[in-house]
Amino acid sequence: MLAGSLLALFLLPLYALFTYATPEAIWTAAHQPAVRAALWLTFLASGISVLAAVVFAIPLGYLLARRRFPGRSVVESVVALPVVVPHLMVGLGLFFLVIPGSPLYRFTTAIGFPVYYTVWGVVLVMVFVSAPYTVLASELSFRAVDAGTLEAARSLGAGPATAFLTVTFPIALRGIVAGLLLTWARSVSEIGGILILAYYVYPAGPYTGPVTSTISVLVYDLFQNGDLPEAAAVSSVFLLIAFALFLLVRIGERSGWLPWGRGELVP
Amino acid sequence: MTAWSLEGLASRLDGFRLGPVDLRLRPGEVVAVLGRSGAGKTTLLRSIAGFLPVHAGRLLRDGVDLTDRPPEHRGLGYVPQGLGLLPHRTVERNVSYPLEVRGRLDALRAARELLERFGLAPLARRYPAQLSGGERERVALARALAAEPELVLWDEPWQALDVDARHALSGVLEEMTRRERLPVVVVTHDPPLAFAAADTFLVLRNGTTAFLGEPGRLLERPIDAFTARFAGFENVYDPGALVGGAPASLAAWLAPRAGPGGIAFARPALASGAGGPGTWTGLVRRSRPTPEGVAVHASVGELTVALRGPPPGAAAPPALGETVRFDVEEKSLRPLGRADGVAEEAER
Repeated sequence: MLAGSLLALFLLPLYALFTYATPEAIWTAAHQPAVRAALWLTFLASGISVLAAVVFAIPLGYLLARRRFPGRSVVESVVALPVVVPHLMVGLGLFFLVIPGSPLYRFTTAIGFPVYYTVWGVVLVMVFVSAPYTVLASELSFRAVDAGTLEAARSLGAGPATAFLTVTFPIALRGIVAGLLLTWARSVSEIGGILILAYYVYPAGPYTGPVTSTISVLVYDLFQNGDLPEAAAVSSVFLLIAFALFLLVRIGERSGWLPWGRGELVP
Repeated sequence: MTAWSLEGLASRLDGFRLGPVDLRLRPGEVVAVLGRSGAGKTTLLRSIAGFLPVHAGRLLRDGVDLTDRPPEHRGLGYVPQGLGLLPHRTVERNVSYPLEVRGRLDALRAARELLERFGLAPLARRYPAQLSGGERERVALARALAAEPELVLWDEPWQALDVDARHALSGVLEEMTRRERLPVVVVTHDPPLAFAAADTFLVLRNGTTAFLGEPGRLLERPIDAFTARFAGFENVYDPGALVGGAPASLAAWLAPRAGPGGIAFARPALASGAGGPGTWTGLVRRSRPTPEGVAVHASVGELTVALRGPPPGAAAPPALGETVRFDVEEKSLRPLGRADGVAEEAER
């Protein structure tokens, strides 16, 4: 009953969205170049932010789970900070950091990663607000790997690196992937920081399309202009894609297509 | 045939000190490590396996010092308490794991042969989460053997297994030791397993060796209340229980015969028929059938004494509240040392 109420809370606003937007409007929205550009930018930037999480957040999670070092509690608190700070403040902080004329602005422009009103700015905000989910999920997952399992593997002939690659990482992978999914989800849903740092995105780096904005900013724009049917249609397109992606991942895990789903006890 | 020995092995873990422990292992010998919880049994196994730093002493294999070698280069098969099966690998890929990490190209084929030998072939494609407790134990052992170890360390096998699973596992243990001549060090809380399988008992107390020898010696002379109970003595009394008994009571009779840790004796037989001959008189408080005879608990003054009644069907078991008589033979008494080991040190 309680679980059902929560599910209803999740589903009813989406239902309202879909009833407001007709299937024809959704279809039309999905074929608009502006919507496609916004979708492409959103998936591109969120994909890069997930890659950044793989490269930086997973090792940090491992470090926090398995190593004792001075200031560990401080590092853990810093990691949790982006989750609790309002994202408009995040955008403001990043804005001051990379404002034209600032040292970081000059540096990032010089090395070919200009962040102000570019895809890199979107990525920067997305990584800031979403990477903590991968750090925290990785930390918990690495910590949950049974010490006895690792010790058994070591005594069976696996050196430390082999034991990490064949035991620790595969066992922790399911939790890490859950963290990466959260990171992706948080990235695509971000708006506060992006509004300030990259309201419009001009072609730069890997984004070579027309001037656009992320899908959340686009919907915000449509809403601000009073174009509610269009806002509902674009939102519906995005929701359908996101739902299909999550469903595919879950089916892949359950069926064993995806390696991290293997070995779970299916009731 | 490989000979292993521990020479004054000592280790520390979170303030707990283990050792020095001395032990020699012959090929095919099974050593059961016994002791109360926290006595250092698992610490000993993990020290031998190389997971805890050794602060003093040596681990030798055929005279070669392995003390500083990493776990993967010790030639051991270690089965930890939780078994350590890889949850993301099937049974056959668990068993092939030690061969894969050694780069064996025929790892899977060799694993399948081993699974056949252990009767696990039908389970080859299952994951550990899909196995019963007994099956998991057998897979863990098969995997340990796939590593071709020269010593097996087994931490608390067959916890919570049913009798059939225990029987199957004891067959595996028998094969390891008799056919492969593998020495095995097994930590156990299970008296039937220890007495059935072990050639030697190593009793640890507060991290040090309290007893090392043949199991029979522990039956002749249990060193403390724990080992007495482990060996199956049901009448175990600490000195406090024997103080203050009436002059002609059983407690008063036992008190001067007790050691510093108290006294133990096996179930005395009930005198045949109510009111039969016997020095001591008791009032039946509990009575239950066992294959060896009805197990009776009777109040004898301040003490409760476990007694052995007639075999099932031989005679009517004594009823609750009935008066029974029995004798306690002098030669059945086992004076006990203190659990802190003070008495043993004094005796040596």
